Amino acid sequence: MTAFAIRPGQALPVGAPVRVRKHPPEQHCRTPFYLRGIEGEITDVMGCFRDPSLLAFHKPGLPLRVLYRVRFKQADVWPDYSGSPKDTVVADIYDHWIEPLAGEKA
Amino acid sequence: MSSNHGHHHDHDHDHDHDHTHGHDHPHSPPAPDDDDGYDRYEVLLQTAIRELLDEKGIITAAELHEQIDKQDSLSPAIGGKIVAKAWVDPAFKKQLLANPLKTINQHFELDIITPLELVVLENTPTVHNVVVCTLCSCYPRMLLGIPPAWYKSLDYRSRVVVEPRKVLAEFGTDIPDSVEVRVSDSTADLRFLVLPNRPNGTEGMTEAQLADLVTRDSMIGTSVARQP
Amino acid sequence: MTERKVNDIGGLPAGPVCQDEHPSTLHEKRVDAILRILSGPKLEAFSVDAMRRAIESNTEEDYRNLGYYDKWIRAVRDLIIEQQVLSREEIEARVEQLRAKYKKVAA
Repeated sequence: MTAFAIRPGQALPVGAPVRVRKHPPEQHCRTPFYLRGIEGEITDVMGCFRDPSLLAFHKPGLPLRVLYRVRFKQADVWPDYSGSPKDTVVADIYDHWIEPLAGEKA
Repeated sequence: MSSNHGHHHDHDHDHDHDHTHGHDHPHSPPAPDDDDGYDRYEVLLQTAIRELLDEKGIITAAELHEQIDKQDSLSPAIGGKIVAKAWVDPAFKKQLLANPLKTINQHFELDIITPLELVVLENTPTVHNVVVCTLCSCYPRMLLGIPPAWYKSLDYRSRVVVEPRKVLAEFGTDIPDSVEVRVSDSTADLRFLVLPNRPNGTEGMTEAQLADLVTRDSMIGTSVARQP
Repeated sequence: MTERKVNDIGGLPAGPVCQDEHPSTLHEKRVDAILRILSGPKLEAFSVDAMRRAIESNTEEDYRNLGYYDKWIRAVRDLIIEQQVLSREEIEARVEQLRAKYKKVAA
């Protein structure tokens, strides 16, 4: 397995409200465009993994990144979302692509 | 960097249809990989690379055959057995959800070795899961084998995140608004298997009979398990 | 650098999902197997991440129009050259030899 253990205090907790950063993509980027700048919440902390943007260039991919599963309300992602208000999308995002939100999500 | 081989396929990108799909009009796009003509550039390239790697002892023909056989041995039937067991055996299901690969390897005496992590997404009366890889085609191949062409298609990858219910409807799947449709975009080293709801009217069925109801598409989430 | 890479297509407009299926051809299985072994634990010639990066370096037109396995075998080609497993010259020479051989067979 590529998952390495998390050190105590290293990761944000499940339930933490976060926002996906909006910086330009790496040459090999695994954070989809449609989620950038969107607020969601952490549903799982999956462990530490090598950085794919570095592995893509034959580098060891260190330092390790914490991988989170982050869930977003579809209504927050798409302005004209036509499904149910309950619908969500979940993506697997590395720690350097998210920032914790201060205080409660609106 | 690419050789000039003159092979560009003309695709008729005609999307003015409001029916799901028929067989007498062009789809977007056709499957050029069906055209395994021996003189197609990419087939020549595959042959050239395969021969050179064999000649240099990097990948022998025997190793290649073994790998192809290994891939051929994987199919949704394995996933179906896992789902059926989860339906009848609550202790197994609990272990499966907590530690999927280890549980599967133990109970089914498989030897799946992978650097990836498997995650089982349980459908419930209030959540329907569907899986996609918008960025490429990540799929639990170590369990289900090769994904269907539609899973890898630009159309599926583009649309299922933004209009999942419409895409599900194209597969004949209608989820009520009271049930959350949860799309998982497989963007990292996790691979997802949907655990579909057990259909009504299946009490007393054997595991083997139940496994027959579990379709590949129900483990991706574009469909539900079959009715008996 | 553009904000959205060619493969980053979630949410873009698209058509009905074509559900036609065909059994894998031998060519497709061979492409898959070559890739798995080269990127696997024994050889580690390149990572799957590098494969993806190579595929993402296609132009938008090529990304959309080239077949799935076509993109894969071309990426394998680019990476085995990049990683100096084989040279571009020997690959191209072999392709031409094979092309000539099959022309003779067909004639």
